[in-house]
Amino acid sequence: MIPWLARRMAQAVLTFVVVTVLLFVLMRLTPGDPLERLTGDRAVSAEETAELRARFGIDQPIAAQFRAFVLGALTGNLGVSIEHYPTPVSTLLASRLPASLLLGGTVILLTFGLGVSLGVLQAVRRGQRSDRWLTRASLALYAMPSFWLGLVLAWYFGIRHHLLPVAQMHDPLLSPDAPWLMRAGDTLQHLVLPAVTLTAVSVAAVMRYQRTALLEVLRLDFVLAARARGLPERLVLWRHAWRNALFPVIGLLGLWLPILVSGSVFVEQVFNWPGLGSLAANAVGARDYPVILGTAMLVSALVLLGGILADIGYFVLDPRVRRA
Amino acid sequence: MRRSLRYLAALLLATAWGASSAAGQGATRQETVVIVMGREPSNPIPTLWRGNTAAQDIMDLLFLPLARLGPNFITVGEKDFQPALARSWVRRDSLTLVFEIDPRARWHDGAPVVAADAALGLNLARDPKVSAGTALLLRRVASATAEDPAHLVVRFTEAYDEQFYDTIFHVFPLPSHLIDSIPAGQLDRSAYASAPVGNGPYKWVRRVPKEQLDLAANDQFFLGRPGPRRVTVLVAGDPDAMLNLLLSGTADVLQTLGPVTNIPRVKADKRLTIYPLPSFSVGYLLFNLRDPADLSRPHPILSDRDTREAIRMALDVPAMVQSTFGAWASVPVGPVPELSWIRDPGARQPAYDPAGARRLLAARGWRDTNGDGTLDRDGVPLALSLNFPGTSAPRAQIALLAQEQLRKVGIQININRLEGPVWSERRSQGNFDIDFGSATLDPSPYGLIQSWSCAGRGGSNVGYYCDPKVDSLLTLGQLRQKEAKALYREAVQTIVADVPAVFVYSPTSPYTISSRIRKVELNAVGPFSALWRWNPGPLP
Repeated sequence: MIPWLARRMAQAVLTFVVVTVLLFVLMRLTPGDPLERLTGDRAVSAEETAELRARFGIDQPIAAQFRAFVLGALTGNLGVSIEHYPTPVSTLLASRLPASLLLGGTVILLTFGLGVSLGVLQAVRRGQRSDRWLTRASLALYAMPSFWLGLVLAWYFGIRHHLLPVAQMHDPLLSPDAPWLMRAGDTLQHLVLPAVTLTAVSVAAVMRYQRTALLEVLRLDFVLAARARGLPERLVLWRHAWRNALFPVIGLLGLWLPILVSGSVFVEQVFNWPGLGSLAANAVGARDYPVILGTAMLVSALVLLGGILADIGYFVLDPRVRRA
Repeated sequence: MRRSLRYLAALLLATAWGASSAAGQGATRQETVVIVMGREPSNPIPTLWRGNTAAQDIMDLLFLPLARLGPNFITVGEKDFQPALARSWVRRDSLTLVFEIDPRARWHDGAPVVAADAALGLNLARDPKVSAGTALLLRRVASATAEDPAHLVVRFTEAYDEQFYDTIFHVFPLPSHLIDSIPAGQLDRSAYASAPVGNGPYKWVRRVPKEQLDLAANDQFFLGRPGPRRVTVLVAGDPDAMLNLLLSGTADVLQTLGPVTNIPRVKADKRLTIYPLPSFSVGYLLFNLRDPADLSRPHPILSDRDTREAIRMALDVPAMVQSTFGAWASVPVGPVPELSWIRDPGARQPAYDPAGARRLLAARGWRDTNGDGTLDRDGVPLALSLNFPGTSAPRAQIALLAQEQLRKVGIQININRLEGPVWSERRSQGNFDIDFGSATLDPSPYGLIQSWSCAGRGGSNVGYYCDPKVDSLLTLGQLRQKEAKALYREAVQTIVADVPAVFVYSPTSPYTISSRIRKVELNAVGPFSALWRWNPGPLP
């Protein structure tokens, strides 16, 4: 396994380097002036513009900018934000990461927990009324734009009935020194609507994957043999069939890991959730090059890591992969 | 065992939920004003705010200027200004102003505010290393010195009517005892910039980057005890999130209500009140008088004044503004916002006359020779691009209406809805035919020189309009106080007659504020400068 893993890691590192270089170059070639957001509609003199360009190093040729970026990145310095000068990019990413991990982690847990359970239920009750209704409901949710569903939920639960907060991650008036239990409960309340929105629009994919995979496995001979041996149906389903129907879902989980940090830009914006997705979207709009690059690097690293973890999952769980 | 653990977890969850539901309620919330802003007030420090209007709004809560503009926003002379940090002022001669600092004023750390602080603020603002833009505006200030702890002496290089305005409008005092030792160019990287100490009605408490800013009432504020005990600013980039924060009762104040279709929704909510606040902004369709492909050459179509006039005649500007803004904008005559003291209430918009536009274009040789509906001349179609930033919904709507109205007279408009940075880049590079821009103008009409004078070409004057008569009228307007209004108005009339742009709208901002807050005062040049006098009542 170790040579295989080393090869896989080397591929990932190479991919990461290529992606970073491409991102850097493409971003600089994209039209747009990063100083626009900084200066608003105020008249700015040529001297001030030159001073600002020199401050952020964007007056240099692309090669010089890239050299400075690489030298900084090797020492863990991703530069400073143009829009939030002089805040370092690493500080901005670190301040946004917990919110993204919390939302992304909750959504992944809910999506896969619910998706797998409901997918199995549908496969077991194939063609029955519950299967048909779950299919209709999940596809209806899947077809809904997440920002629209978010707005509807915010209106109903937050504005009409005042049951849940409609935005932010914390009550703005809650003191940072409040007891942790109070802060945890407050965060939990704020988490409900964005997490439910994202889960609702994404659970259908996992359900469909799980249902299809399990139906295929349930038709195979070894399941028939297990039943013929008189094993209880529960054991046949969970120990024999479900384990073998899990591989497509593991692959899907690997692809979903980036959501841990990137979240959904639309949902983060609708609920003003302070995650990395909205940070990146805002940075793109402002041409805040260092922040765009920092978030993109983080997300691409997670995509690659997700792929490797999924492969390791296959490797461990599926003997056919090990033999290959 | 497993069941007990489940119960314990559920109990913990319920306790946490219940505990947090109690948080933020009661007296603290009642005495707090929560403001939602669309942009982070990144550097709310005088001379460092760099055009960030959110930062400017917060600056008004943290800092107190020497004086404020009066209710008529008259920028000439000294009579229409209201004392603030300076309790009085005298003119020694045509080149010297002396301000007397109110001895009761204190910085938030308890140190007295002295004339040296005001001199430091003025001198920093004049330093191009700190803010080249402000330095340009203050280029006629020769020196600012403290004669003694109570008296600030400001000397000017020449006699002109806006000396007082220049001294007080762009400049706030800064605490010399805290920032004297910081090199001028490093102020925005200093510890002071991350937790500024001011002299205004509110003190800095904390900032959560891109999320929240907290200010607390300054009980030592010498002009009175602030009513709201706390001001919290929430940063929300999404217009729907901003509106939801207001409608759910999380926030009390919303500056930008978004499309006018939101207004009936807010009006229906008795917990909210809309306060109309006219602005100093003007939106206009700017013609590029130079060829975007080569700025040294005149524009092949728009350098002709009659063609520009025909475009203006073909646009029903009042109808476009009415359908886009309803009653929340007026149609300006020239680059003059509704609040400007030089605005001529008798001036009328040129008439909407599509038939006249067709005649004028025909007289300039534009005909539809190939029957495709677009006029042409010497094989060149009368086709123009129209650029605007995609984030502006009103401009997007008006652009579509303009496209349709101009199509009817045979002018083809290709709309480019651009990302903000791309739009800005093309605008500053002169890479456009028609640019739909919006500018927030200074109260001083002399500011017109930046965008509408020959001297401004290559800088803010991105359309390359130049009429020496306008330059001289603007310069004379600043030198001759008694004739200033007439001279500035003549300059505006000349600009309107030259048609370098179609002036479309001057918006009125619908500030939406919780009805529980009484004694609300808003100011067009500093909306929250009187917030400390607001009176928050019980929560609904």
